[in-house]
Amino acid sequence: MNGAQAVLAALEREGVDTVFGYPGGAIMPLYDALFGHPVRHVLVRHEAAAAFAASGYARTSGRVGVCCATSGPGATNLVTGLLDAMMDSVPVVAITGQVRRELMGTDGFQEADVCAITQAVTKRNMLVSDVDSIAETLAEAFALARRGRPGPVLVDIPNDVLKAQTDVTAVPEKPPGRIGDGPRVSDAAVRDAVARIRSARRPVAIVGGGVRAGAVDLYRMFVAMLGLPHAATINALGAAASGDAAYLGMLGMHGLKAANKAVQRADVILALGMRFDDRVTGKPDRFAREATVIHADIDATEFNKIITANVALHGDLGETLRALVNELARGHVPRFDDWAAEARLLGGPLPSDRVADDVLSATDVLDRVFAALPGDAIVTTDVGQHQMWAAQRARPAHPRKYATSAGLGAMGFGFPAAVGAAYANPTVPVFAIVGDGGFQMCLPELATLRRYKIPVKIVLIDNQNLGMVRQWQELFFSERYSATNLADNPDFVAIARAYGIEAFAIDAPAGADDVIARFVAARGPALLHCACHPTENVWPMIPAGMTVDDLMEARA
Amino acid sequence: MTCELTLRDVRSVARIVNLAHRFNCRCTHVTANADATVTARFAFDGAAVALVRLRAQIDRIVAYEAPQ
Ligand SMILES: Cc1ncc(C[n+]2csc(CCOP(=O)(O)OP(=O)(O)O)c2C)c(N)n1
Repeated sequence: MNGAQAVLAALEREGVDTVFGYPGGAIMPLYDALFGHPVRHVLVRHEAAAAFAASGYARTSGRVGVCCATSGPGATNLVTGLLDAMMDSVPVVAITGQVRRELMGTDGFQEADVCAITQAVTKRNMLVSDVDSIAETLAEAFALARRGRPGPVLVDIPNDVLKAQTDVTAVPEKPPGRIGDGPRVSDAAVRDAVARIRSARRPVAIVGGGVRAGAVDLYRMFVAMLGLPHAATINALGAAASGDAAYLGMLGMHGLKAANKAVQRADVILALGMRFDDRVTGKPDRFAREATVIHADIDATEFNKIITANVALHGDLGETLRALVNELARGHVPRFDDWAAEARLLGGPLPSDRVADDVLSATDVLDRVFAALPGDAIVTTDVGQHQMWAAQRARPAHPRKYATSAGLGAMGFGFPAAVGAAYANPTVPVFAIVGDGGFQMCLPELATLRRYKIPVKIVLIDNQNLGMVRQWQELFFSERYSATNLADNPDFVAIARAYGIEAFAIDAPAGADDVIARFVAARGPALLHCACHPTENVWPMIPAGMTVDDLMEARA
Repeated sequence: MTCELTLRDVRSVARIVNLAHRFNCRCTHVTANADATVTARFAFDGAAVALVRLRAQIDRIVAYEAPQ
């Protein structure tokens, strides 16, 4: 077989069923091998969408997402998606074609030093210069993408290597890597953590994206055992069991007031698979100042990076939670129900800027959409105000039911991520909530929906603005609205229909629920265009670098 | 700050030097011997907080390039 066929054999060995990609000169041998091959290739309309789709696939399934692109511009178009996967610890393998070896270093046509370019956006990358090493390199790439803290790995393969013949298709037997493999948490640290939990008066757990690595059930058991008030970062929405009254909601800049206030008043913080992003902590030296911090993470470099850990639990989050539960069960199990009830009262209804009864507000639309979604739906979002409004309201059944570009905040993510989610979960309804700015970064993917009849439903919150930036201009840049007005947006309904996608529209609260119900029930792909008030802001808001004491709930 | 590392991939030496620059640290010494494995020695100058950050990133690079 040739190198390209060896690549596909390796993908099959890894259980890959779908590859998102875009062809081009250097990677043509791989596309030739894909022709009629059981590994399904999904043609996107821009390589950025291939990387985001692979991420959406991985985030909603826990399996490795795979994308491919040609050399030079194809490969560079993947970069944002790889960084997004790196920031949010998503297992993705990217395969790029490279110019043939004799051209490398000659500024050949579509030559780019992709390994140099992607060094900072991948866990690691590998250049394959010998066809006999394809099988082993790909096995290593998949193992690394899954191992420990998951993330993206790129494999760059020159065109002539893809064409060369090889007999080497097997790899030495090794136990398959598993998301969550890694160091074992220390017994002493577990005992120390439990002692601190037992003597705590106002403990709060903060769960992060680490919970996605198979730790959701144990997390729910742990917080239920203690009646512990808990909050989630945006990457862990869905970690709380439905109806858990001790769950305080999302934490951070646009998080819920109760969550932020409870954390600020806590005497013990249990930080579980989260990394104290600045959007969560605000000003680190004023964050939860009275609290002792018990920090659990698979990545030891997270300890003391931003917040000092009094106890560091280094290991897989599921194993750590199991150890904590077992250690607690050996002695007194404290209950924190009274404190949880008190913490809940620190909040209140979500503030909103709803203007008048006959004007459609984005928050109203999202309340209605979430009420109409099937219980098992997967939701992806793009980046901006709609992302925050959605995160404040969403109660996904599981973190794998929700995908958003959190750490990177990459506009253009939401729609292609939904495409990936739909391939990973073919029987589950998938909804992408997007803004009018971000949607225009990936509009051509409507053609992908159409071609493969992917039943993704797009909720377009059109406020005719780059809303989140507009909000900051209003609040922090003296209302100087530089380059954020999109009042000349195109007719999105007409665009969807031109691509052969069914389109629905609402522009007022009256009758909105009917339209939303028809949209949700549509059989194939569909767009719901929501013409919303242009200047609604996201509340509450803790301005960047501030604390919950500076929380704003409305315009001054 | 000095560190001596055993690396698998000599490219990581360049990556570490780039990171030092990014954190406004000065790489005052770097040597690397590349055989089957790479032995690299570095010395860095910089603000304490930047050096801590650099060290954490170096640890991550070393972890990610370890054999599976
Ligand atoms: C690729 C990219 N470019 C720029 C930004 C900066 N940015 C963050 S939110 C935002 C506005 C998004 O506007 P829209 O998609 O309409 O959503 P809205 O905020 O109005 O809900 C911008 C430009 C970004 N996050 N990603």
